[in-house]
Amino acid sequence: MTVLDIVFWLLAVISIGAALAVVFLQNIFRAALFLVLCFFAVAGLFITLQADFLAVAQVLIYVGAISILIILAIMLTREMWRGNPGGRFQLPAFIIALGLFGVMVWAVINTSWQISAELPLVPTTAAIGSRLFGEGGLLLPLEIAAVLLLAAILGAIVLVREK
Amino acid sequence: MSLKLELLTPELSLLIFALLVILLDLGIKQKKVLAGVSILGLLVSGGFVLTLWGRESASAFNGMFLVDPFALFFKLLFLIAAGLVILASQDYVSKFARFQGEYYALILISAIGMMLLATTGELISIYIALELSSISLYILTGFLKDPKSSEAGLKYLLLGAVASATLLYGMALVFGLTGKTRLTEIAQAIQTIPLTTLLDSPALLLGIILLACGFGFKIACVPFQMWVPDVYEGAPTPITAYLSVASKAAGFAVIARFFYTTFGVPDWLSLNWGILFASLSAITMTLGNVIAIAQTNIKRMLGYSSIAQAGYLMVGLAAVGVASMADTLGRSGLLFFLASYTLTNLGAFIAIIAISNKIDSDLIDDYTGMGSRAPLLALGLTLCLISLIGLPPTAGLIAKIYIFNAGVHYGLLWLVVIGVINSCISAYYYLGVVKVMWLGAPVSEEKVPSSWALRIVLALTCLGVLVLGIIPGKFVQIAETAVRIFTS
Amino acid sequence: MPHQVPWLIWLSPMFSFIIISLILRPFFNHHPKLSGYTTIAAIGISCFLSFWVLIEVLKAPGHRLEIPDIQWVVIEDGISIHLGLIVDALTAVMLIVVSVVSLLIQIYSQGYMHGDPGYPRYYAFMSLFTGFMLGLVMADNLVFLFLFWEGVGLCSYLLIGFWFHRPAAANAAKKAFIVTRLGDFGFLAAILFLFYHTGTFDIERLHSLAIAGTLAGTTLTWAALGIFSGAAGKSAQFPLHTWLPDAMEGPTPVSALIHAATMVAAGVFLVARFFPLFEHSKVALTIVAVIGAFTAIFAASMGLVMNDIKRVVAYSTISQLGYMMLGLGVSGVAVGIFHLFNHAFFKALLFLGAGSVNHATGTFDIREMGGLRRVMPWTYITFIIAALSLAGIYPLSGFWSKDEILIYSFKTQPFLFTLALITVFMTAFYIFRVVFVVFGGEYRGTKLAHHSEHKLHESPAVMVIPMVILAFFSAVSGWLNLTGNFGEFLGHGEARGLLEGFFGILGKPLPWLSLIVAGLGIYLAYAMYSTRRISPEAVGRTFVPLYTTLSRKYWFDELYERIFVGKTLVNGLFVGLEAFDTYAVDGSVNGIADKTIATGRALSRVQTGQLQLYGLFIAMGIVAITICFYFFG
Repeated sequence: MTVLDIVFWLLAVISIGAALAVVFLQNIFRAALFLVLCFFAVAGLFITLQADFLAVAQVLIYVGAISILIILAIMLTREMWRGNPGGRFQLPAFIIALGLFGVMVWAVINTSWQISAELPLVPTTAAIGSRLFGEGGLLLPLEIAAVLLLAAILGAIVLVREK
Repeated sequence: MSLKLELLTPELSLLIFALLVILLDLGIKQKKVLAGVSILGLLVSGGFVLTLWGRESASAFNGMFLVDPFALFFKLLFLIAAGLVILASQDYVSKFARFQGEYYALILISAIGMMLLATTGELISIYIALELSSISLYILTGFLKDPKSSEAGLKYLLLGAVASATLLYGMALVFGLTGKTRLTEIAQAIQTIPLTTLLDSPALLLGIILLACGFGFKIACVPFQMWVPDVYEGAPTPITAYLSVASKAAGFAVIARFFYTTFGVPDWLSLNWGILFASLSAITMTLGNVIAIAQTNIKRMLGYSSIAQAGYLMVGLAAVGVASMADTLGRSGLLFFLASYTLTNLGAFIAIIAISNKIDSDLIDDYTGMGSRAPLLALGLTLCLISLIGLPPTAGLIAKIYIFNAGVHYGLLWLVVIGVINSCISAYYYLGVVKVMWLGAPVSEEKVPSSWALRIVLALTCLGVLVLGIIPGKFVQIAETAVRIFTS
Repeated sequence: MPHQVPWLIWLSPMFSFIIISLILRPFFNHHPKLSGYTTIAAIGISCFLSFWVLIEVLKAPGHRLEIPDIQWVVIEDGISIHLGLIVDALTAVMLIVVSVVSLLIQIYSQGYMHGDPGYPRYYAFMSLFTGFMLGLVMADNLVFLFLFWEGVGLCSYLLIGFWFHRPAAANAAKKAFIVTRLGDFGFLAAILFLFYHTGTFDIERLHSLAIAGTLAGTTLTWAALGIFSGAAGKSAQFPLHTWLPDAMEGPTPVSALIHAATMVAAGVFLVARFFPLFEHSKVALTIVAVIGAFTAIFAASMGLVMNDIKRVVAYSTISQLGYMMLGLGVSGVAVGIFHLFNHAFFKALLFLGAGSVNHATGTFDIREMGGLRRVMPWTYITFIIAALSLAGIYPLSGFWSKDEILIYSFKTQPFLFTLALITVFMTAFYIFRVVFVVFGGEYRGTKLAHHSEHKLHESPAVMVIPMVILAFFSAVSGWLNLTGNFGEFLGHGEARGLLEGFFGILGKPLPWLSLIVAGLGIYLAYAMYSTRRISPEAVGRTFVPLYTTLSRKYWFDELYERIFVGKTLVNGLFVGLEAFDTYAVDGSVNGIADKTIATGRALSRVQTGQLQLYGLFIAMGIVAITICFYFFG
């Protein structure tokens, strides 16, 4: 077991623990902070998997933008102190979540995955760039994403209007 | 790489008109113009679709963007639905002081999303197109900003996110197995994996289930049907109509293409998801119909009814799965049913829009005596409800015969029996409305007036329902053409 | 003849229905007469075209015309549905009966329904009914036959309940609907059963399969019995007869058209249409004959004691329908349909006469009438002709067809012959009881005393003329078979000379027997109700139990109330009923509906609007599907 492996498992445990804390904590603000921690841990996971571009993007977008947005939203929320109300379905939810987890673990473990023989690319940024915009690339989804952003902006305008 | 821009003309032209609507909204006082521009955009786009119809199937963006009759059929269907919804929105939208342009633009953009959904053949594009159509619809659902509408929008958004997550996880599993994102390449890759049953590769099994469920959100099948009544009730009624037909049709388009192209070979694999959809179909239609009986709100009732109709439609999907590759009966049945259902359900909703605009209620009890208060609206609604049951002389009958025939043909007799029993159950609540309208004593003698726009749209849809029901020959041929040259 | 002609025959009244309901009723409601004219014109066209078709069929080889199918839905690799029509002798006869009687009744209705607020609605339904009925007799496959079959049932329901604000009418409509649906259940089962076994809905194909012997044995018998159950429901044969007398709550012209001349005869027509199937199943044919004969005497016995003129005629209709079934059962299409043909005219006339009497006196109770022969001479004369015809008196039409039935049943089923002969006596008695009580003696009505300015009067010409025309048909329609032409037209019959046919029959003993029996019946009625030599009250007192049994209609209504309304059988029965009953929306069918609604309510409680729960359900669904695949995949 290499150092990288140990770091991977450590980060994995941290990210899951942080995610559970997000769900279980009553205080929304603390939950948001744990969310940030979770995002960081995932970025770390990407690094251990040698996906450098993804790790940076994860930090920039999730930690930098989304988390800030969430925290800002919480600060603007009145009656924040009330916290997360407990649901009536905790037990059934737990059982079913366990079931779902079981199903997924079963599926992943019992499948004979094809493992690539190639070594990971370092750095990946240039490769991703040419894959997106180059010959035979993913130009179409990129263009659709542009329209998607337009729709989202329109939506934001419409939804924040005053009644 | 050549872009083959002419293949993209329907979507591009519509996008240009959507932008035009937003820009015009800034400067124009007479807001009716916006509706006109939107309709013009749909017409232009429809014109481009028609010029592409009948040509050789082609693709752009390295096989990600497929232009075949199947895609064109759906594009036309979405354009028609969007057009009718915009026309039917006239009265509704005029109540808004501002943001009318955004309303129309969002309808157009969601139509673009659906058109892309029907036409793309690659995982990432499919996902983003799905999000494009969905996000516009989330916003439109919450457009009214009153508590009910906001709640509906939020619920739709959150459950939509759950569905997206499900879908993405399914896609991830399939991608992980094959390392490809293009559907045709995935299909080839799957065939190289040595498998004899699905249990040999649980990841593929889970992938298929998750994909079915994720797309199932769009078509509102079990277990993703629960958002339907709440969202249908809260959303602006024209948007409800739009959701119930166009969004659902888009879901069916993408499922049919995705599963058929990706998991169509070998036969046992195809059989597996065929049976999956058959079981979901049986549960979906039964659940929808049984709960619909207890409803007192007509929008909720139609919500459950649309779940049930999705169940009937899934008989077609199941037939596609169970049939061997070359057989087209299930697919063309699906297309014909969708066309018929689109017209019928839109017609029903348009009548309801017209009536509830004036009486300010969605309760079935308040429809009492509508036959004498608004005879034409009541007649149109009656026709559409009869078509939803599947009685002559309407499109619904032919559609049901068609799709059930496909079911029987491919050995799904049990499912068809369930479907027929369900049709009989559904008659109870559909005819309940008819009975209340014609035989009940009116609550008041006051007539219920309706605008000409609504009357014309209703007349058009009713005409469509009758034409499909009485002389279906031509349309059956169109549906058959649309599936014969199915790029795979 | 252009091939569109037969299509136009049934489409013409359909167009009339559409015009009335879509144009005349919403926009010209203050000109109600227009809807009457539209209907009459449309049915007039059908009538004219029907005669055209008849002439063509008479000329055609084998007495049938080939009408090219219309391809309706053709699905590649799938089913293809063709729309086609059978135009053969049977169709041609039925077309004439339906269109002629319908036309006359529409004309008559202008007088009878005058001033009714539902006038346009009445004509809309009547058009629709006529369209369905004409389609029914021409349909060439079981699916369309069944659609038309249900269509006429629906119209019957709507027209019985025409005055739906009267509870009796609404209940009668419901009863008619449910009871006939019981029969239709069997019919539908037979259709599916036949399709399952033969893979075809095509009627002529089924004929050829039965004739070739491919379709035989118990399969054929069950199929035939299923068809007969539909026929029995529609033709009010025992034990599904109870709805027809109650159906008299509808307007009288409706009773005349639907519940005397056409729709109730559709059951007889159905058996005739599928006769090749019955012919090859001895059991089924015998059952048809036995049920027919039994119904004939059973219904006639109840007709003896009724005091409502329409109900007497209604029981008479059931009884005569039984005769027709007997005719089909013992000899074949020609005899049964010949009686149907004659019966349509004289029975419609009897109803129109009853309507005319009611128009004058305002009641249907014969004890409130009397002496009407002086004020209503036309009604009197036409009614007498119809009554004589019904009683089977030489040489009126009823005699000829009834006689044939008697002759054939004497040859094959002597016991049934006895029943039929007793029925002849009863028939003559009950119809002349009506004649003597209504038209003879002095007026006993009390109803009109309150407003004495309203004098008894003959009905207007618009009502009398159709009656006179029908009286003409009632007298002579039987002569069509004098030379054996009618029988030959429908497939079997022996040719003879005209005079031989007219007088030769008097040289045989059997006709004399039936004439004497009928004469006795008339004489008994005369003695009891005209000269009062025998006191009816005394007779009634002597046979109290019998009288009560008859007047309570053998307690069948009570029995059915117990079974249907008491919830013992109802739940199980309605499971089947509900599935096929797409018209009676509620009220009538609350059995299963209640249960389903309760389930629906319970299920929609799950739909609480709680988002977490929805999410939970989704996850549960995914897990459940995967587990199912794991175990069953």
